[in-house]
Amino acid sequence: MAMVVDYKNDSSFPYWTSIRRRFEPDSPFFTSGNLERELLAKQVALDLTEDERNRLEKMIDNAARGVCCLIVGCRACLASLEDFEDHYNALHTASCSVCSRVYTTSRLLSIHVSEAHDSFFQAKVARGYAMYECLVEGCGLKFKSDKGRQQHLVDKHKFPTSFDFFKKAHPSKKKRLKNQQKRRMHKKDEEASSKMEVENETIDGLVSAVSKLSTSDSSPSNISFGRRNARGLTFVPLSVQPPREKK
Amino acid sequence: MADDSSTSHRRDPIKSSVGNVAAQRRRQNAVTVGKERRESLVRAKRLCRVGATGDGDVPVEENDMITDEAGFLLDTQTSSAVEELKSAVAYQGKGAMQKRVNTLRQLRRLLSKSEFPPVEAALKAGAIPLLVQCLSFGSPDEQLLEAAWCLTNIAAGKPEETKALMPALPLLIAHLGEKSSLPVAEQCAWALGNVAGEGEELRNVLLSQGALPPLARMMLPNKGSTVRTAAWALSNLIKGPDPKAATELIKVDGVLDAILRHLRKVDEELATEVAWVVVYLSALSNFATGVLVKSDVLQLLVERLATSNSLQLLIPNENKLMQRKCTLIVVLRSLGNLVAADSHTISTVLVPGHEITDGVIKVLVKCLKSDHRVLKKEASWVLSNIAAGSIEHKQLIYSSEAVPLLLRLLSTAPFDIRKEVAYVLGNLCVAPTAGEGKPNLIEEHLASLVQRGCLSGFIDLVRSADIEAARLGLQFTELVLRGVPNGDGPKLVEQEDGIDAMEIYQFHENEDLRNMANGLVDKYFGEDYGIDE
Repeated sequence: MAMVVDYKNDSSFPYWTSIRRRFEPDSPFFTSGNLERELLAKQVALDLTEDERNRLEKMIDNAARGVCCLIVGCRACLASLEDFEDHYNALHTASCSVCSRVYTTSRLLSIHVSEAHDSFFQAKVARGYAMYECLVEGCGLKFKSDKGRQQHLVDKHKFPTSFDFFKKAHPSKKKRLKNQQKRRMHKKDEEASSKMEVENETIDGLVSAVSKLSTSDSSPSNISFGRRNARGLTFVPLSVQPPREKK
Repeated sequence: MADDSSTSHRRDPIKSSVGNVAAQRRRQNAVTVGKERRESLVRAKRLCRVGATGDGDVPVEENDMITDEAGFLLDTQTSSAVEELKSAVAYQGKGAMQKRVNTLRQLRRLLSKSEFPPVEAALKAGAIPLLVQCLSFGSPDEQLLEAAWCLTNIAAGKPEETKALMPALPLLIAHLGEKSSLPVAEQCAWALGNVAGEGEELRNVLLSQGALPPLARMMLPNKGSTVRTAAWALSNLIKGPDPKAATELIKVDGVLDAILRHLRKVDEELATEVAWVVVYLSALSNFATGVLVKSDVLQLLVERLATSNSLQLLIPNENKLMQRKCTLIVVLRSLGNLVAADSHTISTVLVPGHEITDGVIKVLVKCLKSDHRVLKKEASWVLSNIAAGSIEHKQLIYSSEAVPLLLRLLSTAPFDIRKEVAYVLGNLCVAPTAGEGKPNLIEEHLASLVQRGCLSGFIDLVRSADIEAARLGLQFTELVLRGVPNGDGPKLVEQEDGIDAMEIYQFHENEDLRNMANGLVDKYFGEDYGIDE
């Protein structure tokens, strides 16, 4: 039986270790079982209805599992896992209609859209305006570069240096391929390439729109800008579409 | 008597407004009663409504919506009963004993009538010192029994009420001895069980007053309801958190033998109470666990889990069904605790290849197949601990019937079960921890489980609100990214929307999870990702 032995040295990740887990008798882990025992012992005298039992079990379960939302800045505490899911879906899943990335607040989403999909934004950056907003609501400071903003987040707001909102965030597959092709074919600087990304996106939007119109059922378009995004990128005009796509 | 109905008709208009207020108060009362009732259900104390001797001369009232009027009446009656007891105790003349027993009985009935006995009224009227007097040595059995019964129910409610029994404790303990009649001893044990169930402080008092040895001895006979009550009281007494009592118990001569004997019995109620004792012994005391593991107890527990048929068939009624379920839960938990307590159990008793080990796995699989949430959850927990053993243990579980069941549970079961299942599956993929550094993967298991579709279940855990579950999900994701052959890991994770799931943690308050998720995304989905496609 093969074993993978891997000695790359990144000691920061807490790897899965297989260990035994022991619980104290009054651990919440055992609560539902304990409840069954007491209910049974008192069953005869109390004559619980099915409904009462269900409500009781639910009460015990929820008491052990009240959930607090841990998204930065959100202080909501919910009574049950279902309630938490509703809360999360309502408030923390703003998704970008351009690249389908999901953000936890609408403000962050709109910052993302400006910075990643708006050519006007890039144009202003190119002309030296301070366009990169601090991500912390209420701070108000703006920076001329993403790096500058990053530094500010670390210095002023104690964000960890590993925290990387935009640059290292995972780009869509299509975008990655384009990035790689560009790196191989062109030697442009960062700003130009991001401008290109926007343009390419636009062109690709045209391509996919056109190929959707095509009546032939031949193989996908042979234009070599990379594969069609599985999610079906819709046509993106030069101006940005409103990104309100909350679930 | 006048014609009540016509009278009430004429009075109706006036009565209705009063009636509304009363109805409102009753509803409020019902809410309070509902809350109290729920609390009383969860408490480790038990009310005695039908005596140890089966003396059911009090009609047990089912209706617990006590109206204000009825409650008030009960309180008044109780106060008077205590007053009468006072004079009966003081009285020295002819027929004194009978008088005392009668007044005691009267008080006892009042304290057994409903689910919420008039304890406060009894205490306020000064019942305790009188009851203590009635417990004095040489008193007739009937008197002792009634007094102990009253004390039992006084102790069954609120903490301050239970604490009020302090003056009575030495005598209650004294009457546990072998010179006492069985019903008396049993009733005293019941009262003490309620006291012990209150909390650590009272438990310590009882232990320092020497309650343990006599209670332990009451568990030794082969039959009788006394044995069951004593076992229950003992389980409350040794609950800890201090392990001293548990250790002391297993050392008492004859206790281990009695435990084994009772676990073999057909009588489920008795076996269940004794199994609870084993649960606490194994959860708290390493010494006790060592003793138990060396005995036949594991075998007996396995047999009990194995011979119980499908819970639905053959069980005549709801109560019996519940009893059976409770038995299984407690037996499973004893097994779980013994496995969790120390590596000894797995390394010397549950050795792969031994018959008992196969028996354990089989029985755990049976629990996984059952309909009951607690059984599925705790069986998964036990499996996860066995899977934390040697390579051979992991192979044993991996090739058993458990894995297909676990995979299904990972996608369909309620959250708490899924979390435990995740532990099992993850443990199967990781070699035993050996010193420093990253534990090695077991590629064969990992590849196979991933191929069978477990990854999406883990990604779901990453998305959950529970920190522990999210951590597990991320740790397993790391295993996949690192260890799936041919470097297929990242692609698989992406297919299951794993990247999106990890990106939730970019803004998460929990720094640990944030760093884990970001670290994985950085490392495996950086700019070079997808370059060879």
